[in-house]
Amino acid sequence: MAEMLKLGLVLMLVALVAAVALGLVNSRTAPIIAEQKEMEKQEAMRQVAGNLSPGDSLRFDSLTVSGLPNPYYSVDSFLRVVKVSVPPDTSGVGYVFIAYGKGYSSTVQTMVAADMQGRIAGTTILYQQETPGLGANVTDPSKLIGSFTGRGSVGILLAKDGGEIDAITGSTITSRAVTNSVREGLEAMEEAGLFAPGALTGDEDLPQQPPCDDVGSSAGNDVTGTADTDSTAAEGGNE
Amino acid sequence: MSGSALLSILISAPETGNGGFDLGRMMAIIIAAIFVNNFVLSRFLGICPFLGVSKQLDSALGMGAAVIFVMTLATLGSWTVYNLLLVPMELTYLRTIAFILIIASLVQLVEMILQKFSPALYQALGIFLPLITTNCAILGVAVLNIDEKYSLGYSLVNAIAAGIGFTLALVLMAGLRQRLELADVPPALKGKPVAFLVAGVMSIAFLGFAGLGG
Amino acid sequence: MSLMKDLTRGIYRENPIFKLALGMCPFLAVTTSVENAIGMGAAATFVLICSNFLVSLLRNLIPSKVRIPCYIVIIATFVTLVDMVMNAYVPDLHRSLGIFIPLIVVNCIILGRAEGFANRHPVMSSVADAVGMGVGFTLAMIVLASFRELLGNGTWLNISILGTAYRNQPLLIAILAPGAFILLGFILGFFSILEKRRGGGR
Repeated sequence: MAEMLKLGLVLMLVALVAAVALGLVNSRTAPIIAEQKEMEKQEAMRQVAGNLSPGDSLRFDSLTVSGLPNPYYSVDSFLRVVKVSVPPDTSGVGYVFIAYGKGYSSTVQTMVAADMQGRIAGTTILYQQETPGLGANVTDPSKLIGSFTGRGSVGILLAKDGGEIDAITGSTITSRAVTNSVREGLEAMEEAGLFAPGALTGDEDLPQQPPCDDVGSSAGNDVTGTADTDSTAAEGGNE
Repeated sequence: MSGSALLSILISAPETGNGGFDLGRMMAIIIAAIFVNNFVLSRFLGICPFLGVSKQLDSALGMGAAVIFVMTLATLGSWTVYNLLLVPMELTYLRTIAFILIIASLVQLVEMILQKFSPALYQALGIFLPLITTNCAILGVAVLNIDEKYSLGYSLVNAIAAGIGFTLALVLMAGLRQRLELADVPPALKGKPVAFLVAGVMSIAFLGFAGLGG
Repeated sequence: MSLMKDLTRGIYRENPIFKLALGMCPFLAVTTSVENAIGMGAAATFVLICSNFLVSLLRNLIPSKVRIPCYIVIIATFVTLVDMVMNAYVPDLHRSLGIFIPLIVVNCIILGRAEGFANRHPVMSSVADAVGMGVGFTLAMIVLASFRELLGNGTWLNISILGTAYRNQPLLIAILAPGAFILLGFILGFFSILEKRRGGGR
């Protein structure tokens, strides 16, 4: 009995010391990690949104777009739409959102900026764990994501799927995940009526409706702007 | 500065990861875990038992069964502790330490229970159980489920499928190695080297599954 | 000197990868680039040194019945520490090593050295052993990673070696999963020839 007690005490002591040590280190590193993540996001937002209105100071208001089309498993795209606006003009200059697409070995997160007409102004990959040398090339702005710029949702489709975007060699799965998730983000915003009417979208030359558009039909999409979560006047990028 | 509000919007998880149940998604998880991202041949998890226990078909099956069993229980335990204990208490940084302790005690517990109530099963699986604590596939699946933000249901499905994938690789390897005994292998490549070469060829075959289920 | 012997043992004679075949999972998984190999090697070496030091220091205090759980807690603590520090200061490397950082916990080299060496030897030689094993592990990873990065991407430590013409059409298989298995198979075969030569010469 006494031995059991001793063993238990030793184990408890070891665990206690471990927990205290980790707690201490965590209290030092956690803020650094959080700050770093924040910086990365901010940097990415400025970079993509800077293409919308160079030099302006930007405000990011959060928006909720619900009733997303959620077709098959190849894409799980989720948007957090943030309205970008120049202070006196509350109508905004465009939107920024993050698209999530299931790639080969990870869920690729792409940050996308679109203008008020629903055209892509800039894209950057926030997170990916794809195969180095293959899918990991999505981060290269001269390859896949660079060719999105200036296109509306109709044009964002891989050549292999009948569109015009060239996939990264040997990485169709990753390319398709990114392309489809970005397109779906735009489509959801179109359906929510966020883009200027009659722009690139909703024209008669748009025969392909998403296969399950009953999910996100007219009743489904409601848009809520929450003014209180607005934030950070960020400097627009110079480029 | 409402940067934190912004941050919480930006880094919050994709919602399908948390709720709802979708048969298509479930099938995708199963196919990915067994074939496309096979734990052994594509993710490189559980290589040690893959090489150590793949000499005989029987022991490969026994090891596979033990891994599926412990993987499922470990996922149940680790998911519950992480989401119901560590997340609410903001102790997520203790994840690694908590998971390995859960797995180690689980293996002990399973061993004791089997010994007591099912000597036959203990006979079959017993010798593999101590090896499982240090099988990185078990900890790997527990961590992956958290990283991918799977719900408990998807996590369990993923764990079982990953275990099946592991067993599949192990059994295939055992079959090949039994044949290899009779083959004329260059002396320098006998033993481990040729085992790795065979694993490489199998891995190439599994590359062919890429694209299945996205 | 016996301390020197402890130090060099892991580097060649009992190299954890090529001779003992321990710690294969991270070895195969993170050797897609030399940079990753060095990062992983450094992280594992750090954990190895710390855990060997502590296990050796406490070897007379920890009752042998609960030693394994204690070792696991010690190792997991250091791994978590490395995880947090890397996440804070080298986020890119942390991201590319991904799940294999927490998995250092189950790296058989570390528990193996704690149980097989540090709990029976004084602090100094345990640390020397850990340094040797860690360096041996890291060197082995650099060897495989060099082949994979050079063949699969035409670079070495992100420096272009084989030129753009090669980089446009590299031997991709080397960087994919099968390449790791096959190249390791050949490297092990090479070592076994080396061993035979040496054995025959004696």
